[in-house]
Amino acid sequence: MPSLHELQRAIRLSLVEREDDTAAMYVVDDGLAPEQRLAVYRNTFDANLANALRLSYPAVHRLVGAEFFEAAARTFAHELPPRNAYLDEYGAEFPEFLARFPPAATLAYLPDVARLEWAVNRALHASDAAPLDVQRLADLDPVDHARIRFAADPSITLLSAAYPADAIWRAVLAQDDAALGAIDLAAGPVWLQVHRRVTGVEVTHIDERAWRFSDALFAGQPLGAALESATGTEAPALLAEHIAAGRFVAYDLAEPTAGQIALENVS
Amino acid sequence: MERGSIPAAAGIGLRFQHHQVVVDSRPGVAWLEVHTENYMGGGKPPAYLDAIRRDYPISLHGIGLSLGSAEGLDDDHLERTRLAVSRFEPGLVSEHLAWTVVDGTYLADLLPLPMTEEALDVVCRNVDRTQTSLKRRILIENPSSYLRFKHSSIPEWEFLGAIAERTGCGLLCDVNNIYVSASNHGWDALAYLDALPSDAVGEIHLAGHAERPIDGGRVLRIDDHGSRVASAVWTLYAEALERFGPVPTLIEWDTDIPSLEVLLDEAMHAQAHLDRVEGSEAHAVAA
Repeated sequence: MPSLHELQRAIRLSLVEREDDTAAMYVVDDGLAPEQRLAVYRNTFDANLANALRLSYPAVHRLVGAEFFEAAARTFAHELPPRNAYLDEYGAEFPEFLARFPPAATLAYLPDVARLEWAVNRALHASDAAPLDVQRLADLDPVDHARIRFAADPSITLLSAAYPADAIWRAVLAQDDAALGAIDLAAGPVWLQVHRRVTGVEVTHIDERAWRFSDALFAGQPLGAALESATGTEAPALLAEHIAAGRFVAYDLAEPTAGQIALENVS
Repeated sequence: MERGSIPAAAGIGLRFQHHQVVVDSRPGVAWLEVHTENYMGGGKPPAYLDAIRRDYPISLHGIGLSLGSAEGLDDDHLERTRLAVSRFEPGLVSEHLAWTVVDGTYLADLLPLPMTEEALDVVCRNVDRTQTSLKRRILIENPSSYLRFKHSSIPEWEFLGAIAERTGCGLLCDVNNIYVSASNHGWDALAYLDALPSDAVGEIHLAGHAERPIDGGRVLRIDDHGSRVASAVWTLYAEALERFGPVPTLIEWDTDIPSLEVLLDEAMHAQAHLDRVEGSEAHAVAA
């Protein structure tokens, strides 16, 4: 007689690894073979996880079709089953999986669309956080401005893609074949910002310089250093826009450095 | 009535498809139940639930604590559950007699336990830990199942009664699950109901199930929550109410979810059963 843990490991082998031999030994054979009884649970495992992925990757689902998607989801679940029942977090590795999934090799743009969809999914479910109170910045001594390290809103992702992932994503979800047909896959890389506002999730096209400066700020680099390495002159305006749009939720001050610069008009 | 408590009336399982229509139309239904796991993040789902619970008593029904896991509960998932309970102040909190996690892998289905003394100890330990963490009593739902283990030694109904007795938890009697399991395993559904400790039953679930033909002209009943409640399950529900008295009753529907009207219609049907029991109890008191 197996211990409970041994039995549960055997069922895991049956559902995830598709190896029924051990689990089947423990199951009563009563008019239906143990393997067929186990298959009922395996089908639910497959279907529930494919459904969870479909909810997070609706455009990928439409691009490849239901049959292809379910086969990909089954292989993915077999390689990387979820860790817990909070399935909003399941599927973060699906874009990288698609990039090395041989049947998807002809769809070079698919992993980029999937990465955008994961960023949107993260934004949809990110924890709620109140925007940084601007008054708290105004109260700071200007000499400390260069040391500010912002904490980004948890719904924000910046991503770059070799293909126009946002245009494909929009056209596919809108089922706009004309827009889809007009997309130039060779148009060059896109730089995207994903952020959940009160009105919904925003996917914004930004230019590469703005993207790099924002990336430094969202990653918690001190403001002085981020401004120093920013090219072009739009950085202060972009900073003001981020603050106004509620893209920061907190800040702290980095240890002072020798080359620290005082910065004015942050707020 | 205590704030947030669930009345002995018919409610429906609320899914995302119906968030907006419930907020807009405020349908006449006594209470609503949601899956705890769908409200663990931020954004729209919890915002809808915040709005909806101003008008309706809410019950939180978990599907992923894995009370039957030999390795014990996942700390993070228990904490997410605790935070949801603390935020939404539900009238009832329930989970399943099942397991879903082994060696840190979530198997995405409510899997059956062997009915053994070891499994009983494991479940009671996990229920104790959950009730301690949530600082409240929970209800445990009887499972539907498609297989039995050779080494099971305790009837499922006795197993449930033992959990309630040892941990002080209540029971969520899923009448459709009893019907499905009794049919699949050749049990007597009425004897199952008779064996449950009626004082412990704090909620009833009703749902539709599917039939799959198997060898020998038999069917395997699959608990897919994808149709109206079967007529034989309504009959069994009436038997359950006779035994347990009026109990909060929920209509669940998770596959091919229909319009809200269909769910409300099923809830009205359940309410008519509840009214008959209330009526006969009142009559008995008057007499």
